[in-house]
Amino acid sequence: MVPARPVVIALVASALAIALALSLGRFGAYLLHATAIAAIGALSLNLITGWCGQINFAQAALLGVGAYAGGLAGNAGWGLAALPAAGLAGTVAAVLIGLPALRLRGLYFGIASLAAQAIFEYLFKFAEPITKGVSGLLIKPLTLLGRPILTDQGYAVLAIVVLLLTYLVMMWLRRTDLGRAFLVIRENEVVAKGMGINVQRAKILAFAISGFFAGLAGALIGFTVRLAHPEAFGMGLSVDYVAMVIIGGLGSLPGALLGAGFITLLPEAIQRLGEMFHVADLLSALREMAFGLLVIVFLIFEPKGLSALIGRLDPRRWLGGRSADTPQPVTTQDLT
Amino acid sequence: MFALQLTTAGVATGSVYALIAIGIVLIYKCSGVVNFAQGAYVMLGAYLTYGLVHVGLPAYAALGCAMVLMAGLGVATERFVLRPMLKAPAVAIMMVTLGVLILVKAVCLSVWGPDQIAFPRLFPDGAVEVAGIFITYNYLAAFVLAICLSVAFLAFYQLTPLGLMQRATADNTRAALAIGIHTSNQTSLAWSMSAALAGIGGALLASLNGLSLGLADIGLVAFPVIVLGGLTSLSGALAAGLLLGVLQAFADGLLTPVVEDFLRAHTKIYSAGALQQVVPYALLVIVLLVRPEGIFGERGTERL
Repeated sequence: MVPARPVVIALVASALAIALALSLGRFGAYLLHATAIAAIGALSLNLITGWCGQINFAQAALLGVGAYAGGLAGNAGWGLAALPAAGLAGTVAAVLIGLPALRLRGLYFGIASLAAQAIFEYLFKFAEPITKGVSGLLIKPLTLLGRPILTDQGYAVLAIVVLLLTYLVMMWLRRTDLGRAFLVIRENEVVAKGMGINVQRAKILAFAISGFFAGLAGALIGFTVRLAHPEAFGMGLSVDYVAMVIIGGLGSLPGALLGAGFITLLPEAIQRLGEMFHVADLLSALREMAFGLLVIVFLIFEPKGLSALIGRLDPRRWLGGRSADTPQPVTTQDLT
Repeated sequence: MFALQLTTAGVATGSVYALIAIGIVLIYKCSGVVNFAQGAYVMLGAYLTYGLVHVGLPAYAALGCAMVLMAGLGVATERFVLRPMLKAPAVAIMMVTLGVLILVKAVCLSVWGPDQIAFPRLFPDGAVEVAGIFITYNYLAAFVLAICLSVAFLAFYQLTPLGLMQRATADNTRAALAIGIHTSNQTSLAWSMSAALAGIGGALLASLNGLSLGLADIGLVAFPVIVLGGLTSLSGALAAGLLLGVLQAFADGLLTPVVEDFLRAHTKIYSAGALQQVVPYALLVIVLLVRPEGIFGERGTERL
């Protein structure tokens, strides 16, 4: 059973976030839904990378599949059903990407996923009759009960609701036999086999579930940006997502949220700063530079991620009591 | 004849890939780090060469200076970024090299801008004709230089005392320490050589294809190369680099027109796009599925 307290915290936090979304202006609501959507994607990647220990550089490809599938379904008038449809498309794509993981592990799978990312990116451009190629697929707003959602506030609320559902499912999954099997596979596949875990089945299920949520996140990206474009789902985005789960703290659910917030909001913050100091023409370079530098400095000083940092700030630790009952981030693990 | 022409072009680019891949393998063997920043070194090497020529240095001196600077940068990365992270999880180390990639790319963007730049001429224009195939001096020089460097490097690794120390460090760091090898110096040396090789590879690629930020993506092409070669095998990386270069040339020259003809005849798709960029990855997936340890790699045993 999932303990009650984290669920209550999650519910209260999302209620607050929804209230915030409705009170914010357009830009604030945009930041909120961008972060919430990134968090869904990060939770999905955390399942593969944080729990199963398979580093995956094809997350952007899965988001892309979700965006195209959701966009096509939405344009065809499926309404809200476009979201689960995108999720299913994501599942199919993720299982395809995950198939090599049955034979490979660690770094080798990481590089196979790099290959999958490149191949999907190519397919987005190539399958022109479906994806509209390099010009990109225009996506109509998502319709909810026959009424289109047109405002950023509306999408923020939708994204937060989906994020809440994702978070609850992940919390539940972590406590099932399957969730525990993932962690054993991460620590040692040979041990997992010895314990009678069907490693192949568990891995495929991990990719299927992760793909579903990646598809959902992708569809939300599609509906908020209103355009699915091959360039938008490139290698760079995959790296961003890997950065989110690592900076957040591998294997930790709150960590994935923190990482998503950090990676999504940091460029915006740097943008603001840059505008304040009137260096607008150097902005994009400056933003990237600060991003790279922060990633490096952060990882040198806290290689276990934001969740470990926050765990250390927990006052109960110093008062001699129990530390917080959030899942502990990953201990040492060797992916190579 | 056309096939031969393609082969020569492919071999030339492939030899540069091999040069870059050898650098990645070297770092992986010596410090166990998968260096995603190799692409950044490639790009920076080319930009530094360009910058030094721009300041007024003759082309070859600029190339030499750029190599020395790159070697310094390699050592700096190892000392200041990787060494504090010795005990960090492997994924965090992987991520930090991605951070270096992002940082270097951003620095190049801010200094030299996003546009493609004409690279200074390292080699004279013109071509030699061998058995009816034209080979431009550019390609010839890139090939000769890359192969010479690769072979010289392999010889250094196999034949000199320093190379032996390198191999000992890569093989078993603890045992190397026990017999008195300063292993962290060896790791620094590996990083410096690797960055210098990447830098010269970058300058060669830029002299073939022009100079732009896109050069950093070559790091991503180098990964299929090292996996095909088996990740820990230097000569495997050399062979796989050549193979991949030729394959790309054939995909571009022969496969693309055939596929496009077929598509135009049977579907509404007009262009097959950059097929040569996907071929290495498709090959990679197939090879990994058939032989997960790479073509030249050794299968490791697994212990509890």
